Amino acid sequence: MSYFFQLVVSGIVVGSIYALSALGFVLIYKSSRVLNVAHGQIIAAGAFIVYALTVWAGIPIFISFLASMVITFFMSMSVERIFLRRLIGEPIISVIMVTIGLMSILDGVIYLTPFGSMNYSFPEFLPSTPISMGGVSISWTQLVGVIITIVLIATFSWFFKSATLGISMRAVSDDQLASMSVGISIPRVFGLAWAMAGLSAAAAGAIIGNITGLNFETLRAFGITVFPVVILGGLDSIIGAVVAGIIMGLIQQFAAGYLDGNWGLNGTADVLPYIILLIILLFKPHGLFGTHEIERV
Amino acid sequence: MSTNRWLATGNFYTTYREEQRIFRTHLDRLLFSLFLVSLFAWPLLISASNRNMLVINNILIAVVAVYGLNLVTGFAGLISIGHAAFVGIGAYTLAGTARSIGESHVLITHAWPLMILISGFVGAAFGAFVGLPAMRLKHLYLAIATLSFQMIFTWTINFMTFFNQGQMISVGRVYWINGQVGRDEHYLFWYYVILVTAVFCGLGVRNLLRTRYGRCLVAVRDNDRAADAMGMHPGLTKVYAFALAGFFAGVAGALHTYMFRGAGFESFTLHHSIIYLAMAIVGGLGTLPGSLLGPVAIQILELQMEHISEWAGTFLTAAMNLATALRPLGFGRVTVLFLMFEPRGIANWWRICRSYFKLWPFRY
Repeated sequence: MSYFFQLVVSGIVVGSIYALSALGFVLIYKSSRVLNVAHGQIIAAGAFIVYALTVWAGIPIFISFLASMVITFFMSMSVERIFLRRLIGEPIISVIMVTIGLMSILDGVIYLTPFGSMNYSFPEFLPSTPISMGGVSISWTQLVGVIITIVLIATFSWFFKSATLGISMRAVSDDQLASMSVGISIPRVFGLAWAMAGLSAAAAGAIIGNITGLNFETLRAFGITVFPVVILGGLDSIIGAVVAGIIMGLIQQFAAGYLDGNWGLNGTADVLPYIILLIILLFKPHGLFGTHEIERV
Repeated sequence: MSTNRWLATGNFYTTYREEQRIFRTHLDRLLFSLFLVSLFAWPLLISASNRNMLVINNILIAVVAVYGLNLVTGFAGLISIGHAAFVGIGAYTLAGTARSIGESHVLITHAWPLMILISGFVGAAFGAFVGLPAMRLKHLYLAIATLSFQMIFTWTINFMTFFNQGQMISVGRVYWINGQVGRDEHYLFWYYVILVTAVFCGLGVRNLLRTRYGRCLVAVRDNDRAADAMGMHPGLTKVYAFALAGFFAGVAGALHTYMFRGAGFESFTLHHSIIYLAMAIVGGLGTLPGSLLGPVAIQILELQMEHISEWAGTFLTAAMNLATALRPLGFGRVTVLFLMFEPRGIANWWRICRSYFKLWPFRY
């Protein structure tokens, strides 16, 4: 039974990181209806910036964590400014294609750095002995990661509920014309959405990097696993991202714990989310919390 | 129609039949025939090295695959981020058959046109299956469905022992009328096979687009609600677009397997799906000349990237990893630049060129 609870705990840990990764994705989709395929690369970039600042520049890890969030904030904002601003009003297909192209470019840029081919791991800054409770153990890095995730998601929820900028972002996602008429600058909101997505991606990247080590392929894979999560939760719902992230984390951990090794299966955790995604798309296309688009001619 | 059937300055259609003609003037027809003849005849005059033949064959296989992608993404307006997986389905249909009945079975070596066709149909079946969500959904979700199909495909190939866990599965040499195709003429033989396939597929696509089924695709892309009101079934049309794309991809995959004499999973990854998309975009989405020009442009770009990284490798440290970096960097940059500055692709330059000569000496 403790095995079961262990899986539940690690599922929640993984799931909360998924939730944080999906958050940035949902932010961009919610405000500008753009599917950001390059999200995994931004996650990876955030993690690498934290490492570079901590190890190569010798800055304390918490400060470099914040610094990396600031850097990706401006990085994503400029990505939006350079590549996507001029595509406002273009068909949605070309916008998605641009993010696919962006994914390739960021891939190339990261391959140019040493991070593209080598594996690194963060220096230990937390006690390495895990906390055990009744046969269930959780490492300090995981615990701190989950706490940071919860804090960030709470901040984002507050931001959307109460801050003026957050409310204007919600307004834009609801109706662009109407929000323009009350004086909201739509390009600025789009830029802000990208910037905040970059910020949350950097946080997610740093946490993942601490837990799994810095491997470009792993970090990039998170960006793609985000797709099943957001589809399950509904593409434009923050609560959906959190709930679906945790569900997906649990499913992956259970698959890895119970399916792998039996019946000659292995690596099911990598493929199960996508199978679930195809099934959800067939039967509940708008996910758990997504808005149903009502089309009027 | 103007009385001069050789040259027409401008369009003077008086019937719908005339508008649907493939070749507007006799000159068009003549130039196209000359182009085809030169494609068939040049290997008789010039003997290219195996390396060059390989590049040319690769381009032609990509052309066949991009026909499919262009149908689904360009004409039907549905993004497919998993096209390499469909190509892989075709390749592994052939490779799987070879593995189960032996790589030199008569079916593989003698009945290879049949095998190519079967691979195409298996690809179509998978395409239709992945397109099923289209019955209820719009493009965004479909793009994700194709992406997840790509992931599932890669995992399945890597996992199943039947597919040799992604390692190379070899396929025997084929037979032609005058016996087995030897090592020397392998690439030349497959050049002709692929060329004939590509020409037939191209004619097929061109003719499809002037039938009601082809126009259906375009109508659904432009406005699926209006298409619905006109009596088409948008969902079924999308499924059928995916099936068509799967067919072309499957054929391309089978050709790929035969030409490389085997299939390995590394030719059908997400990266290749993105390359196919780049080809379709750079060539020009929703145009037939684009399906030819895109693969040529991207393959040339790839060759140049290889040259640059070889040249740079002489004075850079190995840690820079330039060879792996340059390819995605190049593809990404080209895709983004084309989308931002020339969304209609190289085919648009081709169109501008043509209309210049057609209208000369007038400007418009």
